Amino acid sequence: MGIRQMSYVNQRCGLNSRAARLCRPAMKIHFIAALCLIASLAAQAADFTASLDRDSISLGESATLSLTFQGGQPGNVPTPDVPGLQIVGTGNSSSISFNNGQMSSVVTVTFSVTPQRTGTFTIPPMVADIGGQQIRTAPLQLTVSAPGAATSAQIYSGSQVAFMRLSLPQNKVYPGEVVSGQLQICFRDDVQNEGNFQFTGMPADGFTVGKMAQGGTERTRIGNRVYTVIPVSVALTATRAGTLKFGPVSANVVVVMNGGRNWGPFGGFFGGEQKQISLASDVAAVQSLPLPTQNVPANFNGAVGDYSMTVTAGPTNVAVGDPVTVRVQISGRGDIDSLLLPDQPDWKNFKIFAPTSKTDLSDDLGDEGSKVFEEIVTPDDAGVRELPPFSFSFFDPNDGRYHTLTQPPIPLVVRSAGATPSPTILAARQPEGQAPQDIVSIRENLGALAQAGRPLIVRPAFAALQSIPVLAFLAALVWRKRTDNLANNPRLRRRRAVAQLVARRLEDLNRFAAENKSDEFFAALFHVLQEQLGERLDCPAISITQADVDGRLAAMGAAPDTLNSLRELFQACDQARYAPVQTSQELSALALKFKKTAAELQALKA
Amino acid sequence: MKRCASIFVMILLCAGTLVAADVQSEFSAANRFYAEGKFTEAAKTYEAILKSGTVSANLLFNDGNAEFKAGNLGEAIAAYRRASLLAPQDADIRANLGFARNQVQGPTLRNSGWLRMAGWLSALTLNEWTAAAAIAFWLAFGLYTSMQIKPAWKSRLRGLARVMVFAAFCLCAGLAAAASIHFTQSIAVVLSSDATARSGPFDDAQDEFAVHGGAELSVLDQRNGWVQVSDGNGRIGWLPDRQVRVLPEI
Repeated sequence: MGIRQMSYVNQRCGLNSRAARLCRPAMKIHFIAALCLIASLAAQAADFTASLDRDSISLGESATLSLTFQGGQPGNVPTPDVPGLQIVGTGNSSSISFNNGQMSSVVTVTFSVTPQRTGTFTIPPMVADIGGQQIRTAPLQLTVSAPGAATSAQIYSGSQVAFMRLSLPQNKVYPGEVVSGQLQICFRDDVQNEGNFQFTGMPADGFTVGKMAQGGTERTRIGNRVYTVIPVSVALTATRAGTLKFGPVSANVVVVMNGGRNWGPFGGFFGGEQKQISLASDVAAVQSLPLPTQNVPANFNGAVGDYSMTVTAGPTNVAVGDPVTVRVQISGRGDIDSLLLPDQPDWKNFKIFAPTSKTDLSDDLGDEGSKVFEEIVTPDDAGVRELPPFSFSFFDPNDGRYHTLTQPPIPLVVRSAGATPSPTILAARQPEGQAPQDIVSIRENLGALAQAGRPLIVRPAFAALQSIPVLAFLAALVWRKRTDNLANNPRLRRRRAVAQLVARRLEDLNRFAAENKSDEFFAALFHVLQEQLGERLDCPAISITQADVDGRLAAMGAAPDTLNSLRELFQACDQARYAPVQTSQELSALALKFKKTAAELQALKA
Repeated sequence: MKRCASIFVMILLCAGTLVAADVQSEFSAANRFYAEGKFTEAAKTYEAILKSGTVSANLLFNDGNAEFKAGNLGEAIAAYRRASLLAPQDADIRANLGFARNQVQGPTLRNSGWLRMAGWLSALTLNEWTAAAAIAFWLAFGLYTSMQIKPAWKSRLRGLARVMVFAAFCLCAGLAAAASIHFTQSIAVVLSSDATARSGPFDDAQDEFAVHGGAELSVLDQRNGWVQVSDGNGRIGWLPDRQVRVLPEI
């Protein structure tokens, strides 16, 4: 191999630790080789040159200045300073080459040179110290010209990487008319990518420049090359009569060209070369005709275009001094944003407030859409019966004539200020399926004040109140169960009935004893004894015998004292048939004994 | 003693009447501003009344109108929403809220299913839901209690009681949903004409999405003067709380 070349590009390189470990052996080798080379290079002849990649550029473009140091490392890198030129370092590279045993070292430092004005600039000689030698470069000249439009010959020859064309679709306009300037930005088919597009100049004489809108990209053949065409529309509003000019429009763009990979400082991600290009278009001129001075409507206020109008008003049933909102919507094509609501001289019986407006543009250029005015008017007296006709005049450049749109009068019902207002609900008045045109107007009364406080659902008292029906239901349920239980258990029912009878009879016994009514006392005592024993023994009361009392009560676990007490009570009842007269104290003692005995009987398990 | 109590009650009544008259005169003044087209002044006067603690559906409705006319779409929608919480069946409030919502640009919860359900539930206020559910609850238990007390009425009341239980169940479900929305779901209405939701509650956090005045967003969190919102399409971001009004706040 005749030539071996190693190139080191100085770049900011972030290595992680693993990559750094992998790189260490290679770095050592390179370091040793560099030491050897530096020693051998010391004897090589030194040189220092400066060069521009081109000596003529347009304003807006950049040239590249390269400083090349041969035969050793420079002790200093001079930076030129030229008024009118912005010179910024963009990178450096170094290379060492071996050719048949001879070594050479080249260090290149590059600068981007961007002119700030047109003219011829001289980059003065620069001095560098290489291996102790002071070396001077030759001066360089750079000519900067104003950007100009590409000629047809240049375009059709395919020599232009990019160019811009401008046209106006009309040859006559009227002051106030909006026209659409058409710009075409064309990129040759070998432009891989473009970016940083920026308009640098858009002079307009007699036009107001409005919004811009980009159209769809298309490819077309121009001459012997295929170009990508990006159309851009510009809204231009004529401001005066006479000859109006637009352009030259100038712009800067950075393009990336197709081609071999270039890993230099301007090498892009796709490997193409980046270039900054200045574009300029021709000047487009158009004749602006003055607006006709004949048949000018009285309320014409400068609107130029093609419009339609709708007018609504509401509420239409008001008191004197109440607001009526008049809503005027003007739609169409023209300078929508600058439309003004014309004065209405016929609206004498109304107080008119300054209107508010809202513009709704339907296209990107802003020359089509609608503008809605809302004007508050208040009738001055109750004699007003209608909102007078509303008219709007404009000049249509398509037919060169003035037009007047007139809305018929809108009937109004105007009450005196003291009259009771009738409720009006705009929403209710809207026909089915039709969107409301405005908000419903304000209320005259404050209305019911809202109660402050937490919602009912989180108030403890309200929650506690809800337990009442639940508790009532549970109580009724328990009561119903007990009632049903009693109805289905005759023994239980009899026990309760006898208990109640015993309680009542005890009162009678005490009363009979106190009154010393012996016969009634013993009749009652005998009856209640029979009932109590019949209930306990589950047999008819009248069938109770002494044998039943002794045998069955003893079997139920009755105490001997209880049995004795029963016998004594029965005996007392028997004796009373023959000797009924007893003292009140004796009767009371018997009543007490019966009470005790009855309690003991009721305690027995049946 | 009785005389002192009477005097005290009279003083309270007089003070209340004076305050009411003052509020009514302020309200009328704000209405006059509105009629004269001084919408900003009208809105400020309505706001002053609201700040004094007086709240009514009509007051909020007029405030919404004034804000709308003054071009403050977010404030208008917030006021209409507050008014609709007090009077959910008011056709005017619903009409103006709908009209204002139609002016809102960009992302908003307007078309989300959640908001539609919330709109359906907001046909009644939370207290109205509560009262309706409580009435059905009482009637259902009352009927079953009557059937326990008078078993002979069972055959006649059983059908009605079942209908009432079903009604109570439905109303309680509606109440639960309405309460859930009321207590857990907050809406942030964007007040600024343009605002940018950021990825975190910091001024230098990355931009997530842009919203415009009047947009209604679901509130997910609030922290350090920032509100985390969702636009209903899965996009989440943080907005400074000065740019939004979180509802409900009645």
